[in-house]
Amino acid sequence: MNIFILDSWLKEHLQTKATPKQIGEYLSLCSQSVEKITKVGDDWLYEIEITTNRPDCLSVYGIARELSVILPRFGIPTKLKSLDINQEIKTTDKKALPLEVKIKDSSLCPRFTALIFDKVVVKPSPKTIQTRLEKSDIRTLNNVVDISNYLMLELGQPMHTFDYDKIKGHKMILRESAGGEKITTLDGQIRPLPDGTIIIEDGEGRIIDLCGIMGGKNSEVDEKTKRVLLFVQTYDPVRIRQTCQRLSFRTEAASRFEKGVDPEGVMLAMNKAVQMFEKNCEAKVASQLIDIYPHPPHEKIVKLDIGLVNKIMGVEINQKEIINILQSLGFMIKVDGDSSITAVVPHWRDDDISIPEDLIEEIARIYGYHRLPTSLPSLAMIPQNKIDFSKWETKVKSALKFWGFTETINYSMVSEAVLKDFEIKPEDCLKIANPLSEEWIFLRPSLVPSLLQVASLNKKEKIKIFELANVYLFQSENELPEENLMLTGLVIGENFTKIKGIVKSLLEELGIKDFEIKPYQLQKTFYGKIFHPSRRAEIIFKDNSLGIFGQLKKEKVFVFDLDFTQIVKEANEMKKYQPIPKYPPIIEDLSFIIPEKTYVGEIMKAIKTTSLIIQSVELIDSYEQTRTFRITYQDPSKTLTAEEVEKLRKQIIKILKDKLGLKLKGKGEN
Amino acid sequence: MDTNRLQNLKNQAISSILETKNEQELEELRIEYLGRHGQITQLLKKIPSLSPEQKKDKGNLINEIKKIIEEAIISQKKNFQQKDNQEEWFDITIPGEKPVKGHLHLITQAIEEITDIFKKIGFYRVAYPEVEWDWYAFEGLNIPKNHPARDELETFFIQNLKHPKYGEAVLTPHTSSGQLREIQRLGKLPVRMLNVAKCYRRQVDISHAPMFYQFEGLVIDQGINITHLKGTLDFFVKQYFGPQREARVRPFHFQFTEPSFEVDVSCIVCGGRGCRVCKQGWMELGGAGMVHPTVLKNGGLDPTKYTGFAFGWGVERVLMMKYKIDDIRLLFSGDLRFLEQF
Repeated sequence: MNIFILDSWLKEHLQTKATPKQIGEYLSLCSQSVEKITKVGDDWLYEIEITTNRPDCLSVYGIARELSVILPRFGIPTKLKSLDINQEIKTTDKKALPLEVKIKDSSLCPRFTALIFDKVVVKPSPKTIQTRLEKSDIRTLNNVVDISNYLMLELGQPMHTFDYDKIKGHKMILRESAGGEKITTLDGQIRPLPDGTIIIEDGEGRIIDLCGIMGGKNSEVDEKTKRVLLFVQTYDPVRIRQTCQRLSFRTEAASRFEKGVDPEGVMLAMNKAVQMFEKNCEAKVASQLIDIYPHPPHEKIVKLDIGLVNKIMGVEINQKEIINILQSLGFMIKVDGDSSITAVVPHWRDDDISIPEDLIEEIARIYGYHRLPTSLPSLAMIPQNKIDFSKWETKVKSALKFWGFTETINYSMVSEAVLKDFEIKPEDCLKIANPLSEEWIFLRPSLVPSLLQVASLNKKEKIKIFELANVYLFQSENELPEENLMLTGLVIGENFTKIKGIVKSLLEELGIKDFEIKPYQLQKTFYGKIFHPSRRAEIIFKDNSLGIFGQLKKEKVFVFDLDFTQIVKEANEMKKYQPIPKYPPIIEDLSFIIPEKTYVGEIMKAIKTTSLIIQSVELIDSYEQTRTFRITYQDPSKTLTAEEVEKLRKQIIKILKDKLGLKLKGKGEN
Repeated sequence: MDTNRLQNLKNQAISSILETKNEQELEELRIEYLGRHGQITQLLKKIPSLSPEQKKDKGNLINEIKKIIEEAIISQKKNFQQKDNQEEWFDITIPGEKPVKGHLHLITQAIEEITDIFKKIGFYRVAYPEVEWDWYAFEGLNIPKNHPARDELETFFIQNLKHPKYGEAVLTPHTSSGQLREIQRLGKLPVRMLNVAKCYRRQVDISHAPMFYQFEGLVIDQGINITHLKGTLDFFVKQYFGPQREARVRPFHFQFTEPSFEVDVSCIVCGGRGCRVCKQGWMELGGAGMVHPTVLKNGGLDPTKYTGFAFGWGVERVLMMKYKIDDIRLLFSGDLRFLEQF
């Protein structure tokens, strides 16, 4: 949470010569981060981010208290001025105005204090107060309401004022809301109350306060108000936060209460308020002080081993310095010996400090993190995972990049419509219980829909994109889903052979050989339905499917969808050396007329398996029913003669004719 | 056919060859000496009619002269060609034919760069589940039940998925969920983890996407202290952002570290003087801290013996700082006009 603090207001509590720039820099280094320093008229305004563990810093006084410890360490003498406050509140015994208070559950409101003022004159606040509030971005209303806002900023204690005469029966019941009650708050909004909200009802059962967040319209202070009920309390932070979240409504007061307000600071604020009411509103205290505080916190004690300080900070700091730092922060210290101390936690830090490490943080930040040296941890032997996924990821991504693909990264969550479009059943997918939008509800079981969305978004004639990411597959209701890495590519403006070539090259790049490309058998992926029924193929390796590729059913879009987790398990970087052939190859081209519906793959396989002398078979031309193959003959042990090659050629022609009905068309030699 | 005459013939031929001005003159000379009726050819034809003794001497000499003249012609021809090449008009401004070029996603490039930097100082890359049990994501990291991060307004929960011991399933909101996983995987010290993974939070605006990447470092060993954390992040900042960048740590608060820090880098835009983009000259990089003793205990380690530090930063955040990209959602938009810039 960010707060705004005026330099002049800060210096009312602080005796120092520090410049705003110094204050900004040193406060950031040792305590809370000063994000901006802006000049406002003849003053400066600090914008400070307060961390959630430091609600004690959510005020001018809290920041002054920090600075009084920090600035002297940078050589700037600084003193915190004492708050000019009476010890005792003088209350009337005679003619005391009555207020009956009932708290249903003391955990809702750890400390409840109230005081009634009479003869209140409602008018504008004194100039200084108006200026300070306005510069701190708070609207001024009148002298009564301004007191509560002023003290919230100055001391961090939110408070509320009621018109005493609007509280029916002069009775208050503090309880949890239930059964869908409503309140009209000061800003005129009617707000439905979530169950469990802390509220106050008066003697007639009217809800008069949305506690800790905003008062009720029906009990507000106006120009005619004569008697004011001042309210200073603390509330259960969790309930305040939950209500704010459910109502999507937060006030300055609520932001402080939800972080925890120090119940020991309540009386200080009450004292200061009395002073201001008497001075600014000519008011007289007209009741007993009500202070319901059933469980004051116990004194908190933390033991600290000096050795641990050095162990965590990495430098030697002596006991005397440690004690000095802690004392300056308000800790009471008892020395237990040479190497150990006991610290009593100041009440404003009660929620934050519990273990020795918490004390070390205090010591280290005041000593100054900037004063600590730097070093690197020593190298160490770490048992490695069997498969280095990131290495293979880098390799395939870079191959695809140089083959013209652009990588995309898409959200893991998809909409129900997208799933249905791809004939994936939403009930088979993992569903987010609290989605942020319709677009992001299910965890995707396939990357294909995401890539198609990208393709349609970009509207280009030629597209080559890919994604490498997890898909999420439900296992059982008490098991985490299988997170499987998929490598999926989408190509528009190319043909089947190009896709097949990419798939084959990718696998070869990963050292996977001897895989087979077979018609799609519904072996692994359940969304094969989106592919064109005949133009899809599956990659089979050691009886396992490594993925599918082909053309989609709806459009001329080609997709490869590879099971990267599986592929990487089979990947192999090791290459095998083969001696360079000593004898020249003979290369010749043969053209055949083929019957309809003959698979080229089978022809090539038949040629290749004719003899071990045939090193390779390539398809170099296809025209109508003619296919031309380039055949390389090579014997590792001798130079082939024309007669030997002719013998092989005849064999090939015969096999192709007998087995597949092919007819030799003509031949040319290279 | 005396030897002097033959030598004169050779000398004359060579000087004529050297005097030629173009390839045509040279070709004429070639025909004059080596053509079918050329002088040398004629001499060669006469060799069979010589006496056996002369056959050997003169024969060798004539063949040698023929070879010398041939070489002279070839060498002169090369001279002409070189001259031609020097005078040739050739257009080098013609556009080149580039190989097809694809693009890696900026996030991938950043992750590779980050991984390489940490690899140099001994960090080992791992990956852990994105759909994770509450215990690893929150409870085990000392984040109490009523903490805002565990609220359904901040974290995505998975429907109908629950572990009897580890609680509900969430989309992990940070890579810190890998801390306890890595400690469990190793089962012993030391730890030098770099966990890079997708994380998810219920927030969308120009600097937040519901899905984003974090990288998390975790070092646990005997004698690890704040100076090691400072050294490590200093090393990263200077390697990634450049040697002129400064890093600073300042106090912050996280449940799973104590003490906790936030790390700032001197502003890339103004160099640290202070500008509209930064906060008084500094830009926030992310959180860090000394591993909380409760987390060590939850991982089965003795916090009185071992200490550690951790940091978890947004990949997009560092790359957006470096490339001055102003809307995180662009990275996940699939807009090729953006993706093809990198």
